[in-house]
Amino acid sequence: MTATGQPVALSTKALVAGYERDLPIVRGVDFSIRSGELVIVLGPNGAGKSTFVKAVAGLVPIHSGATFLGDRDITSVPAHEKIRHGLAFVPQTENIFATLSINDNLLLAANILPKEKRSRRIADLYAMFPDLASRPSLRAGQLSGGQRQMLAVARALIVEPSVLILDEPSAGLSPKIVSEVFSKLKAINETGVTIILVEQNVKAALAIADRAVILVEGLLRHEGPAATLADDPIVAELYLGARHQSKAVAS
Amino acid sequence: MNPQAIMDGLITGSMIGLGAIGVTLTYSILRFANFAHGEFISWGAYFALAISGALGSLSGAFLAPIGPFSFGWSLPLATVLAVALTGGLALLVDALLFGRLRAQRGAVIIMVMASFGAALTLRSLLEFIFTSKPAYFSKALQIAMPLGGGLRATPDQLLSLGIAVLLVVAVHLLLTRTAIGRSMRAVSENQQLAGVVGIDVRKVIRTVWVLGAGLACVAGVMAGLLVQIRPYMGFDLLLPLFAAAILGGIGSVPGAMLAGLIVGLTEAFAVQLIGAEWRAAIAFVILVAVLLLRPQGLFGRPE
Repeated sequence: MTATGQPVALSTKALVAGYERDLPIVRGVDFSIRSGELVIVLGPNGAGKSTFVKAVAGLVPIHSGATFLGDRDITSVPAHEKIRHGLAFVPQTENIFATLSINDNLLLAANILPKEKRSRRIADLYAMFPDLASRPSLRAGQLSGGQRQMLAVARALIVEPSVLILDEPSAGLSPKIVSEVFSKLKAINETGVTIILVEQNVKAALAIADRAVILVEGLLRHEGPAATLADDPIVAELYLGARHQSKAVAS
Repeated sequence: MNPQAIMDGLITGSMIGLGAIGVTLTYSILRFANFAHGEFISWGAYFALAISGALGSLSGAFLAPIGPFSFGWSLPLATVLAVALTGGLALLVDALLFGRLRAQRGAVIIMVMASFGAALTLRSLLEFIFTSKPAYFSKALQIAMPLGGGLRATPDQLLSLGIAVLLVVAVHLLLTRTAIGRSMRAVSENQQLAGVVGIDVRKVIRTVWVLGAGLACVAGVMAGLLVQIRPYMGFDLLLPLFAAAILGGIGSVPGAMLAGLIVGLTEAFAVQLIGAEWRAAIAFVILVAVLLLRPQGLFGRPE
């Protein structure tokens, strides 16, 4: 699916964010993603990737700049209201309620929908994630790593968000499971959901992304089509750890 | 040993259990031990006393005993209003004190010390307004009815036990079967994720204060009805409340009630077997034993 010509789904203007006002981690990021795009956010450790998406999701204080969902300024909208505007976020860790059942996790998310829609949406998500449908009363903490990610994604999709942000969904998963998770994310993106993906698993993420942006020290330094970026030796060397990885493989 | 200790223990235990539910919910959601919780028991009892007295002065018909009980309609009506007022008092304390500390990301120890301060203030206010002289909802004497097996209980005692059981079941169903209950469990597990999912965490916190304080109010009315009303009545129950909350497992409503009954029964047996002067020490012994042997309590999960 090409997003060229589509309206901007989410954007940030000169976004400065961080846990401490005098120590910003994100230092003025201008970013935009078009409807239906899948954009991957890359960068070395400590570049501010997670802080950037958490700030957009309302979990890290924004000190200056602005965030827009479409044309709507959502900079000061509290985190729990953003989902109502169509912005869903899946944190990197602790992204499900482990003590609640699979069904209760989904019911919690469905709670902001009109009553008559809740059961249907949960049924839709069970159809999309059959692994979850077979044991709805199972405590979510008993799921495997991959199943937990699927539950977290299903939970985020319940409200049919226009934009889905995921913070390193492949963290801690085996390569086979990573491949399954990314296939599922691509399939979700192909239904029209705009996706922003923070990833360390560069190769797998670039394979499904339309475009990539690279953050370095809290600033957006490079962006371009994912395929181009994957083949760019300078970018790969500087920011994606290609030299380091090849040396490690050689040794 | 006199089997009546069982009935005495169950009645005291049900009051402890109701109070412990508030302690356990506050702890599991707000992550601090609220030592001012006992004051909601006292304030609840005094709110009910004041409203009941006002209703009685409006019409003597409100004071005429209902059936076999020692009180008239003034008390149930006053209790409903007192529950609302005690919930309001808890929200006020949160808005003036705990909420501000949360906003400043105050450390747990600061919250705990603040709760000590709040407890002292609330207790002193009660003494200032009502004096420390004991008060009663009713001075009518009730004859305990034989229940079999050497047990006896007054109608007021049986009613209190029944109300405690009903409230525990209701709160348990609220937590497990309703949207607000699921939200409370979610906030208890992970506040940040709860926000991401669309839960208004501040609304959940307000619900927990009102629920916990409301139950404390009912416990206070029960204590006032079955014993007497004093400004220190909540403070005296504080240690048993915490013993029950920890024994039951933090966050577990049935656990808090069951543990309240265990603490109440143990206290009653200790009074008979060892001596009344050891009653207060029993809750402390239970508390220390649980912390050493099973810190997660009966129904809690290990951290």
